Amino acid sequence: MRRFAALTAALLWPLVVAGQVLPRIPVETYRLDNGLQVILSPDHSSQVVTVNIWFNAGSRNEVRGRTGFAHLFEHMMFQGSANVKKGDHFALVERAGGQTNASTAEDRTNYFEMLPSNRLNLGLWLEADRMRSLAVTDSALANQREAVKEERRLRVDNQPYTAAFFEGIYALQDSTTCFPYAHSVIGSMADLNAAGTGDVKAFFDLYYAPNNATLVIAGDFDRGQAKAMVTEYFGTIPRGSEAPAVTCDVRFGTGQIRKPWPDQKATLPGVFIAYRVPQYADPDYPAVVLLASILGQGESSRLNKSVVREKKLAQAAFAFLNPSAPRRGPGVFLAGTIANQNVTAETIETAVMAQIASLAKDGVTPDELDKAKNGYLANKIQQQQISYFLAEAIQEATLFLGDPNGVNTDPARYLAVTVDDIRRVAARYFVPDNSLVMLVTPAGAR
Amino acid sequence: MIRRAVLLALLASVATVGHPVMAQTHAPDPLPLTPAAFPPFRETVLPNGTRLIVVENHRLPVLSISLSFSAGRVADPAGKEGLAEMAGGLLTKGAGRRSANQVAEAIERVGGAVNAGAGTEFLTVSAGSLSKDAALAFELVGDAVVRPSFDSTEIGLMRTQTLSSLDLERSQPGSIANRILDGMLFGNHPYARHATPASVKAISRADLIAFQKARLKPAGALLVVAGDMSLAQATTLATKVFRGWTGAPAPLPPPRALPTRAGTDIVLVHRPGSVQSNILAANLTYRPGDPRHYAAVVANRVIGDGADSRLFKILREQKSWTYGAYSALERRRATGHFVASTEVRTEVTDSALAEMLRQLRRIGAEPVLAEELAAAKSAITGSYPLNVQTAEQVAGAVTNVRLYGLGRDYLQTYRVKIGAVTGADVQAAARALIRPDAMAIVVVGDGAKILEGLKKIGPVSVVDVDGKPLAESDLNPAPQSLPVALGQLVASRDSFVIKIQGNQLGWSATTVEDIPEGKRLTEHTNIGGFVEQQTIVDIAADGAMLKVRQTGKTQGQPTAIELDYAAGRVKGKANTVTQDGPKTLTIDTTVTTGTIDDNAIQGLLPALPWNPNATWSFTTFSGGQNEAKVTTLKVVATEAVTLPGGPVDAFKVEMSGGWQGATFWVTTASPHRLVKIAIANTPVEIIRVK
Repeated sequence: MRRFAALTAALLWPLVVAGQVLPRIPVETYRLDNGLQVILSPDHSSQVVTVNIWFNAGSRNEVRGRTGFAHLFEHMMFQGSANVKKGDHFALVERAGGQTNASTAEDRTNYFEMLPSNRLNLGLWLEADRMRSLAVTDSALANQREAVKEERRLRVDNQPYTAAFFEGIYALQDSTTCFPYAHSVIGSMADLNAAGTGDVKAFFDLYYAPNNATLVIAGDFDRGQAKAMVTEYFGTIPRGSEAPAVTCDVRFGTGQIRKPWPDQKATLPGVFIAYRVPQYADPDYPAVVLLASILGQGESSRLNKSVVREKKLAQAAFAFLNPSAPRRGPGVFLAGTIANQNVTAETIETAVMAQIASLAKDGVTPDELDKAKNGYLANKIQQQQISYFLAEAIQEATLFLGDPNGVNTDPARYLAVTVDDIRRVAARYFVPDNSLVMLVTPAGAR
Repeated sequence: MIRRAVLLALLASVATVGHPVMAQTHAPDPLPLTPAAFPPFRETVLPNGTRLIVVENHRLPVLSISLSFSAGRVADPAGKEGLAEMAGGLLTKGAGRRSANQVAEAIERVGGAVNAGAGTEFLTVSAGSLSKDAALAFELVGDAVVRPSFDSTEIGLMRTQTLSSLDLERSQPGSIANRILDGMLFGNHPYARHATPASVKAISRADLIAFQKARLKPAGALLVVAGDMSLAQATTLATKVFRGWTGAPAPLPPPRALPTRAGTDIVLVHRPGSVQSNILAANLTYRPGDPRHYAAVVANRVIGDGADSRLFKILREQKSWTYGAYSALERRRATGHFVASTEVRTEVTDSALAEMLRQLRRIGAEPVLAEELAAAKSAITGSYPLNVQTAEQVAGAVTNVRLYGLGRDYLQTYRVKIGAVTGADVQAAARALIRPDAMAIVVVGDGAKILEGLKKIGPVSVVDVDGKPLAESDLNPAPQSLPVALGQLVASRDSFVIKIQGNQLGWSATTVEDIPEGKRLTEHTNIGGFVEQQTIVDIAADGAMLKVRQTGKTQGQPTAIELDYAAGRVKGKANTVTQDGPKTLTIDTTVTTGTIDDNAIQGLLPALPWNPNATWSFTTFSGGQNEAKVTTLKVVATEAVTLPGGPVDAFKVEMSGGWQGATFWVTTASPHRLVKIAIANTPVEIIRVK
């Protein structure tokens, strides 16, 4: 992985945002002997602390026939461990006045507890107990398999449009050359049914070892006390073997894919257009992020001004990257709209495509780029208000840039983007040959 | 290494994947925490009567502003439901010297946001920005409420988008359920009313301007500023942007009586093809300020607020019926309501509802366990630090207290009052406020599959997604043979044009020919190069299907269907285009007597004995789907259709239950002719020209 941190830090520090200094986030990093990476980021402005663990495991680590398994496994992490009964993880955190949850994406699975600061010990103890001794029973697996299937029905099968999001976009990658990114996080019902406790144990041993995890503590805590607790709870968990590497043959511009998408739940046509884009650490990535903002984020974005407001074709239009989380493999840029009544999917497709084409043909204005940068930086400041979001930002820098301090230095990459960069990445990635077009048509039997 | 797993497996039949034992086998005790008072805030009343509250916090250079009025949808005039929401949405679409685009550009250029919208009770305009841009944020809020443009173009756009979003809501089971529930809970009270396509179309620019002039007045408005700003700075900026704005809002209409409910009723919203059922069970509770509130909050926590609650633990963790099951206490000025909710797979709908009701009875009937009581109270009071992390969260809490009139010391004494709630208080509050024997229950799901089970729980009425009553027979129509009089089909040729949004984009021609076995129906369709298709259907003299031959292209992909019907079977193959690309189906399946091929329906319409009450349900087979379904044709109206040659009277016939809904218009005069087709949920219309 390329490292940008050192370079950008030397170039530009402190960052000045239109006259405001971007507040610096404290980051102290160390490793336990068993390989667990620990990052401390204290801030005493509220009585809240977040314990946040990312495992370097997600749907990209799944094998054929077990799609959806990383997410099913995430559910199993709440089913108890040596000293925590099934269901007690939620109960103990909620009784402490805290919040806990987890989520699975392509590249990582995150677990967190946001707690009153005097319950840091509870969060660390709970995470250590399940990292050390996860309980795996047939009944718990059967139970969570059903919960996950209901989650799939709730989010995908019983909703309009969402299948295009949750599943359609994975068609951008060729499953013969890049299976890790060519199947969905939610997985197939058949594969979920096929998963057994043996799979759960093997996945735990391979991916849920301390040397495959990063622990971030952010918010109101005492460094010395926190370090002592981390050593006490996590220190004796043995190191695991190294997880196998994930391979993907990344290709851009391999031809347009068109997918008619009849949707029995939809009442209005919709258009979702996806492009293959580079990974987080790639030099082109910041320009792609800002391009997404210019194209489809906010009222004054190009898609909103043209497709929604001027042409009146759609209720809303959006563009963003990587619906679940960033990636170390090929990314997905998704632009989409849901039509107004009496507008066809083909009509919107033409209008959206014209806006995308103009990014490469005519470029963007310096004003548009400034607006996108200001939005990016204001968002970086806002996210520091809540320790959970701050912890997530530190994890993101650590996994995707290889440097926790990237949370402070990476904004420089975004500030350095020029209008020429935007035009160049538009011409490189945002071309029909690099796209997937999903035309959702109502197929209701009502 | 001897694994802990082996030992545990022997002891407790728990296979643990794991490692050396944790030294500490119980969750650690809490560390000391200095209890923090509710964060301080300052307030004043501006000369124009607006109350200003400032929650000052300089940790980060950010700021948020919100300005709220008693101007929610509750006061919308009858027939103009949606007025407050539309007016709210338009406040930021052009105001002061800026057009809608300029408002958006101005705030987004500095990485901020400005929003306006109306809910049930209140209309709120808000803005967030870095504190260096505070003057701009104040100016945009001031312009929005005092100087909105209500530009005609923006009104038209908002109306279009509102109509489309109403249509979108009809596809979302959660939205459908809430709308129907409001109707059940609130009866004739304005809380039950929602925007409809007709009411949205009835709202004029004059209505919007009158709304703003009458309702958005400074006296009684609440302005809350949170973040990197002092009271003095906020007063200065507010005074500047609200200069010249005076007066009090028009009084709200007098409160209407709320309905009372004697028993539990179930409304089943039939949503064919649902793979889950959305369940809501609710009853009215109390007005804001009721002293039972604290005990009710604890009771609600025990029942369904969070993953440590009975509903979640039983419906999800024990039964595996759902991804989540919850309950909530909703707050409105005239009354609150309690609502329990879950989404479960279709097969367990009645079991899940019965279990939910059992738990709602139990909380009033049995004392709450001491451990549950302690857990609930510590969760509520313990979450306090998480709820006041940011100035904006503090501002939100203060805003709620002021808008709902919860009492000056509500936030400061909340934790103490929750701490004082006893088990007896919880049971008494639950018995009084959660009434499983007098509840409004909404179930959105596939009625054909869940009606019988629900009837065992309570009286069920069935409606469609728009709330229109349905008969039970509409859910699961028994298929009959279509009364086809093939002799009515005479050799002929008809031409149609295909219009999309009124533009002619294609054509279709149909012919009827006599063949030795019976009749041959041929259809040739071409839509703007996207679709080209020819279909031949042969039908025996007794109306039985003989064969189907279809060839064509859809979006450049070849499609073909070859089917032969004989001796109670249909055999053949179908090449179709799906989400996953071209697909070939081999078909060899039994069909019941009287089954109609889906390609034959249109051609057979003239051969049916039409009358104003005609309704037929029959089995159709689709080669493209390799599936049989019951399809219903029903006359829903008699109306004039305008054709190129002039108007003709026609039966309007809705086709439902199959793979694609459609509406047909068939002439009332005999011999019946098909004169117009509208494909459901699409802008496609097919009109006979010759």
